[in-house]
Amino acid sequence: MLEALKALSTFFNENSLRTRRNLRSDIERRSLAINEEFLSTFQVVKDQLDSVYSDVKAMSDCCQDMTSRLKAAKVQTHDLINQTTSLHGESQKLQMKQQVADAFLDRFQLKPEEIKSLRGAKSGSLSQDFFQSLARVKQIHTDCKILLRTNHQTAGLEIMESMALHQESAYERLYRWAQNECRTLTSESPEVSPILCQAMLALQDRPVLFKYTLDEFGTARRTAVVRGMIDALTRGGPGGTPRPIELHSHDPLRYVGDMLAWLHQATASEKEYLSTLLKRCETTNETIQDTLGHISEGVCRPFKVRVEQVLVSEQDAVTLYMLNNLLKFYHHTIQQIISPAAALLETITEIQDLSHRMFFNSLTCHANKLLDKVELPPADLGPTASLVQTLALLKDVLQCHDSSVVTLENKKQDFKQILSCVLDPLLQMCSVSASRLNTADMASYMVNCIYQMQSTIALYEFTDTKQEMLQAQVEAHVDTLVNEQAAFVLSRVDLAHIYSTIQQHQPKLGPLANLPGMDPITVKSAMNKFDSYLASPDSLTLSQCSLITSSKNRELIKKNSSELICQSYRQMYTAVCDPQNEYREWTSIVPRTPDQVLALLM
Amino acid sequence: MGVGKSCLLHQFTEKKFMADCPHTIGVEFGTRIIEVSGQKIKLQIWDTAGQERFRAVTRSYYRGAAGALMVYDITRRSTYNHLSSWLTDARNLTNPNTVIFLIGNKSDLEAQRDVTYEEAKQFADENGLMFLECSAKTGDNVEDAFLDTAKKIYQNIQDGSLDLNAAESGVQHKPAQPRTPLNTDQQPSKEGCQC
Repeated sequence: MLEALKALSTFFNENSLRTRRNLRSDIERRSLAINEEFLSTFQVVKDQLDSVYSDVKAMSDCCQDMTSRLKAAKVQTHDLINQTTSLHGESQKLQMKQQVADAFLDRFQLKPEEIKSLRGAKSGSLSQDFFQSLARVKQIHTDCKILLRTNHQTAGLEIMESMALHQESAYERLYRWAQNECRTLTSESPEVSPILCQAMLALQDRPVLFKYTLDEFGTARRTAVVRGMIDALTRGGPGGTPRPIELHSHDPLRYVGDMLAWLHQATASEKEYLSTLLKRCETTNETIQDTLGHISEGVCRPFKVRVEQVLVSEQDAVTLYMLNNLLKFYHHTIQQIISPAAALLETITEIQDLSHRMFFNSLTCHANKLLDKVELPPADLGPTASLVQTLALLKDVLQCHDSSVVTLENKKQDFKQILSCVLDPLLQMCSVSASRLNTADMASYMVNCIYQMQSTIALYEFTDTKQEMLQAQVEAHVDTLVNEQAAFVLSRVDLAHIYSTIQQHQPKLGPLANLPGMDPITVKSAMNKFDSYLASPDSLTLSQCSLITSSKNRELIKKNSSELICQSYRQMYTAVCDPQNEYREWTSIVPRTPDQVLALLM
Repeated sequence: MGVGKSCLLHQFTEKKFMADCPHTIGVEFGTRIIEVSGQKIKLQIWDTAGQERFRAVTRSYYRGAAGALMVYDITRRSTYNHLSSWLTDARNLTNPNTVIFLIGNKSDLEAQRDVTYEEAKQFADENGLMFLECSAKTGDNVEDAFLDTAKKIYQNIQDGSLDLNAAESGVQHKPAQPRTPLNTDQQPSKEGCQC
């Protein structure tokens, strides 16, 4: 309302009747004009809207068209897209397959260069690649086994087959190569190349080929060792030093010793070469020992022939024994390198047995000679020349045993045999030569001889049993001498008959003084003689007793015989003093008491 | 062929029969440790030659003996007949308490027997000897003969009738040389240290 009034105020300026009458028309006119103005203005808008409409319509049509066209295109491309998607998926799958196949091939097939390295160069030499390829072939071959467990059995079998073929040809080549290589190892100190060691390691998978190769090596070394030994024997070292071993063949110990030392060295170095060759392999000790035995077998014959010759031509027991000890020592030493079953050690054992036999032959021969031609005991009842000489031999033998290096048990065994072999015949010889003597001579001679043996063996070990036996023999003969000495004294002073009568006297026979030869006068005169003997006891020493060489035994005989005499005096004294025996003046017959006699004699 | 003294000794010390045993020259020696009443005793045994020519040498070995084994061959009466002369020799040269054991060897040869057991037993009893028949070849009774001797010696020492350390029973006079057969002899067994 306010607005309308404001608008009215703009055109209604004069308030008159006309105007008031005209107002209505004015307002109508004005309204008409405004409407007309409205109309014209909206006419423009309408025109513009119309054009917009037509534009939009055109656009709409255009869009419609496009949409339909798009629809058509979509329909048309749908197949294509489907196709593409499927193709895409397929391509992805294929790609995956390709990767798998590549990996498979990579894993299960050899590369061309590997095959090439397996086939090898024309020159026949072997390289590191070969072993790598060989390892691959082997790897593939084992991997195939996994394949066989899956569904891919055909492939697995085929690959296996081809790998086996590759392997076989590669091993064959390797074997030929190693064989050739081994064949060339015939120098005195061969160089074992690392590649050969590797070849041996690879060949271990084919035990037969491995063994053959090792045999080839053994044969080559065997030849080398034999040649080396012959060289050492006849030519000596390079430039003649050391000098050839055979130059010393006149000296059995040096000759045999040098040969044995050479053998020891050779076996030790051969073991070294062999273990170098097999250092990468896991071989059993048995394989090594077998090969080593094979290598060392060749020298057995030349060695044996030479030593046998030495042994057979050697007569001297001491040298033979030293040789025996030498062989024992080297047997023991070489045994630490090669097994006792090896031909070389067997040969040494054989020779050692031979030397043992020859040694005891020589001793027995010596002993038999002693018994064949028994010497008569010399006048001084001392040991005979042959006894002394044999004991000197025994001493030499035992002496060289002292310096030898054989084991104690061995030594003990030997000693027993040696002692028996020498002493038993010696004792027999003494017995035989003593058998023609009278008792005192015999006993004295035996004591002297046995004493000589005792003192010879006293210095050495393991002689206890023999010592005991000899000592017992000496004691037996010393006892005999004691008895002889006492009997001699008694008979010299005319007491022998008196003593034996008293010993056998029995009360029923009546008083002693009444028996024949027992009257107081006879007894008294005998006792007087005994008294003068007491003044100088040495005057009645048996010559045989003074001929005893050992002062200890001499003293023993003197002491024991004096005791024995005292004892018999005591018996006679008691009998004479006995009133039943009717010696009235017994104090003048036996003026000395047994204790006095004992004091005088001791 | 002997009566088999060395074979007996060998059988006793080595428990083996020694065929083809050569004649003994002089004396042979053997030892063995045995046990008597819980005591270890070492026997020193002298095997003396039977041949006449060694009489002088072998006599020395009787003297210290604590026991003697006198051996004859049951298949040869001649060896039995010589026993008394050997016995005289043994008695003359040994201590009165020395144990003397009579052995009839080769009891395995029953078929060739020439001396009856009873006859020899009677001889032994008359002379106060111990007696056994044995065989060195089969080993039959060998062990017993030696062990019985050792036991008797041990008993004699225990009751004091045998004193090994005392001087011999006085001065012995040379006995009249008895005729000595080839094949009968003694093995004095001397008792050694007790260990």
